[in-house]
Amino acid sequence: MKHDANETGDRSVTILSFDTSTASLAAAIVRDGETVDSILSFSERNHSVKVISEIKDLLQRNGLKAQDIDAIAVGQGPGSYTGVRIAVTAAKTLAWTWNKPLIGVSSLEALALGAWESLQSADENIGTDRAVWIIPLMDARRGQVYTSRYAAGHPRKWETLDEDGIRLIAGWSQLLENEATDDERVSAVWFVGEVAPHSAAIEMAEQSGMRLRTLACDMDAGALGRLAEIRFREGGRDDVHSFVPNYTQLAEAEAKLLAASRGE
Amino acid sequence: MRKRQEAGKGTDMSGMATKPDYLMLAIETSCDETSVAVVKGGRQILSNIVSSQIETHRQFGGVVPEIASRKHVESITVIIEEAFKKAGVSPGDIDTVAVTQGPGLVGALLVGIVAAKSLALALDVPLIGTHHIAGHIYANQLIGDILYPALALVVSGGHTELVLIEKEGQFRIVGRTRDDAVGEAYDKVARALKFPYPGGPHVDRLAHEAQDEVVLPRSWLEPDSYDFSFSGLKSAVLAEINRSRMKGETPDFSALARGFQQSVIDVVTGKAMRAAAEFGVRQLLLCGGVAANRGLRETLTALCREANLPLLIPPHVLCTDNAAMIGAAADLKWRRSEFTSLDMKAEPGFSLEDWSVKG
Ligand SMILES: [Zn+2]
Repeated sequence: MKHDANETGDRSVTILSFDTSTASLAAAIVRDGETVDSILSFSERNHSVKVISEIKDLLQRNGLKAQDIDAIAVGQGPGSYTGVRIAVTAAKTLAWTWNKPLIGVSSLEALALGAWESLQSADENIGTDRAVWIIPLMDARRGQVYTSRYAAGHPRKWETLDEDGIRLIAGWSQLLENEATDDERVSAVWFVGEVAPHSAAIEMAEQSGMRLRTLACDMDAGALGRLAEIRFREGGRDDVHSFVPNYTQLAEAEAKLLAASRGE
Repeated sequence: MRKRQEAGKGTDMSGMATKPDYLMLAIETSCDETSVAVVKGGRQILSNIVSSQIETHRQFGGVVPEIASRKHVESITVIIEEAFKKAGVSPGDIDTVAVTQGPGLVGALLVGIVAAKSLALALDVPLIGTHHIAGHIYANQLIGDILYPALALVVSGGHTELVLIEKEGQFRIVGRTRDDAVGEAYDKVARALKFPYPGGPHVDRLAHEAQDEVVLPRSWLEPDSYDFSFSGLKSAVLAEINRSRMKGETPDFSALARGFQQSVIDVVTGKAMRAAAEFGVRQLLLCGGVAANRGLRETLTALCREANLPLLIPPHVLCTDNAAMIGAAADLKWRRSEFTSLDMKAEPGFSLEDWSVKG
């Protein structure tokens, strides 16, 4: 999904993008659809320590100052509650202080697009005849995953098919297998991202021995920046003050209170 | 009112402390209050915005950490903007950013810390990680001059400490609670007396209205100890309620509230006065959220007058958690150019003594 700047906008656009929803801290500078520079570090879910100095380093080594940045893109989640809050708080504060547009992007969509980009670079014929479903996975414990569904390929599309949500991997992979079997326009279903804890469930769901594939990969802040750039060029903006993480579920205490009020 | 960032302001940090009318942005998010302040010269409050989440947590009967963190994210930039507006200054005018580094709820601390780091990066100014209790103590500096050596009695929902400050910014804890903090004990007793969360102020009011007093034990611990313990007292209240019920009587809640409050005040003020005498301090400082307690203020005021010991008690808004107090404490570090790295970590169990100034 290479993005041609001349199609949708007439000027060069530089975006600072970052995400801390997963075990990795990912940040990138994206200019006109290309990753100029990026970092990926693993700080054992302690992203609050390094996030700002890593961003500072990224800006400095590329000689960028606030005035060179057109927008700030951030992974809005879902993912680790604390992790998502770190990137979202940093993005809100930087956007407010520098008075820059803020663009929130689904962390799952960024994970999925990053995977799709690497699948394409490994096999340039992938998805040229029929569509490929890209299913990003982030582990949410107890057999659950944060996930969604995107259709890619055939020939150049990127379409969101399901909303971000938390689902049981067993039922979800079975459902995808069944739907892909019924839909002859789909050539393969790729589970991407944090697939290792769930490979058994995915194998269980596989019937044809063909469609369900896995690709373990990390968050790609470059892909996040590219998704943000498209929205930015279309005039999409998020309101800095009201912008919050997409947790996809209530806090436990809220869920209990709600259940109690319904007399459950 | 946005001004472009002035480049390079934070690159040379030596000698910055010589600017007496410097502007500091301070952030406090250690528990359930999102607060941002602009403080000039370490002493003058230009703004001190406090957004309380109390209405949210009331329905859960106490502070829920995950919800506190979520609320901080919702309000952080709103409160930052309000603080700048109220102060009438622009982000570009700020010389340094201070933030509560600990102690507190880690998820709540992180929101303020990441916001502060972002501001420090965006404005290219130094960061000052600040101790929450030092903030409560130095809130007194916002209303008067502290005379050293001073003794601080810190009483709040999470803390009950006697802190000796021999010299400016040098903290030594001489007494601390071994179980519940005073505020915690108040809230637990309030629950037993059927008051909604947070119940401390209700107990204070009921104690004042009471005609009778159920005399409860005083927990003095070892004769030479300045430590505190309140869990036994809380149990005594519960036992008293049970005893009445077993006899088929209605417990006299107001007499119990009076008995509880009197026991707490006797012990807390008794130990504070004894420590003040032993360490020969020139001033007593009362601080923390429970400093709003009327009974405690009145008793301590009377005792200090008798002992001819100057007493400082900040007004209510500076006793409960707020960012201006964080700015007042951070001023200690600013004047000594003791800044904190951008890689600062939240410290849920931060030591006050370790936070003492170096110079
Ligand atoms: Zn406090």
